[in-house]
Amino acid sequence: MNTEFTELLRPFLKFAGPEEITEDARLRDLGLDSMREIELLFAIEETFGVAVPDDKLVDSTFATAGGLWGVVEELRTPVGGGSR
Amino acid sequence: MPEPRATPTPAGEHAAPVGAALSGVDPTDPGAVWRALGAAGIIEALYPDGVQPDPRRLSALLTELDAGCPLGVTLSVCVQVATVLPLLAGATGPAERARRGMLRGETVVALAVTDAAGSGSDLLDATTRVKLGDDGAVLDGGKDWITNATSCDAALVLARHREARHFTSFCWVLAPADAPGVTVGSAGRAFAGSGVGHLRFAGVALPPDAVLGRPGRALAGFARQVGVERVAGALWARAMCHRMLAGLRDWLRRRPAGAGTLWDRPAVRERYARCLVATHQLDALCAPLLDAPAAVPSAVTGMLLKVSAAETVDRVAAEAVRLRGADAFRDGGEAQLRTEAAMFGIAGGATGAMLAGIADHADELAGAVT
Repeated sequence: MNTEFTELLRPFLKFAGPEEITEDARLRDLGLDSMREIELLFAIEETFGVAVPDDKLVDSTFATAGGLWGVVEELRTPVGGGSR
Repeated sequence: MPEPRATPTPAGEHAAPVGAALSGVDPTDPGAVWRALGAAGIIEALYPDGVQPDPRRLSALLTELDAGCPLGVTLSVCVQVATVLPLLAGATGPAERARRGMLRGETVVALAVTDAAGSGSDLLDATTRVKLGDDGAVLDGGKDWITNATSCDAALVLARHREARHFTSFCWVLAPADAPGVTVGSAGRAFAGSGVGHLRFAGVALPPDAVLGRPGRALAGFARQVGVERVAGALWARAMCHRMLAGLRDWLRRRPAGAGTLWDRPAVRERYARCLVATHQLDALCAPLLDAPAAVPSAVTGMLLKVSAAETVDRVAAEAVRLRGADAFRDGGEAQLRTEAAMFGIAGGATGAMLAGIADHADELAGAVT
């Protein structure tokens, strides 16, 4: 996960504190509720210039930090490219 | 009915066309008011960008309505211009036809969000469901305390299309009020002119194009749009506070007390002044939004506006009742207004829920002094 993503994520996680946000961190456990998820969705789309497609608009997309980052990275990465 | 205006409303250049449009119109008839606004082009002119209302035009409209119409009639207009019309922007099929009709004042569309089965502050528990299929959709469930329910041509319904308790489980459907399976019940005499009522949907068969936008985006879109509704509520609340304070000042100046009037008494003036302070704090919160190109606030700004508007209206109305005494209980007086204006702390997000959301933004709100 890149730093920009984890720093964007942190204000939405009221129980995260200063600890490192790991890929397997469960976002609900760190305090992300559903209404804050909406704000997070808008923040991600605006920050990374992506639009989360319908098939990714499901609860599992928001389950872990790494899972969400995977969706963002997939959307912003041209076919054949990658940067983790 | 509000008493005659004590002072001109400070609504600027956009107020005069609204006043002209409503001249000679029965202010207690929400349908007549809506048609007059549409026929005069007032509704369409609210949306310079075609989607979101221009804040100054919105403020002028709500100020004029507040000055002349019962609270329920203003509520009927407010929810349509602040929330329904923007949500319908970009739609096709029946939703686009409904939007065009609304802009002309010929069609009324209710916003059906608060579920009969759950709290309005926790939409994730909503049980109104839509079954999506290739041939169309079937809607079942109920929505309570819906403005314009008893007078609408159609309802824009937030319905669950997936079972997961998640914001992506909802979509919008436009249900004609006369579709088989749609029934409407009155919610009583509160908010006269608002058409508030309860909607029930029993196996309502709808065509495929009754589903609006992208399924899964409805609650996210509503969360953003409700911010505009909160701006509208705050602009309306400040107009109401200014109106009550102007009327109260004039009444206090006329009310004999001893050798002078109530206005001469320092204790009365202090209580009045505290209301002025609160109202001007609300004004200050609204001021930056009036200069924005569109009335779309951040989530936290919307919540701050919502709480401030609710608390300021309640404070001003309560003080007006206490200072006026029995006079506040005249028809359409501050006592009745205070009862109905309690909706500022409930509809579109209860104050407790707003405060919980504001606390989530503590770091950005507490940390920044510029």
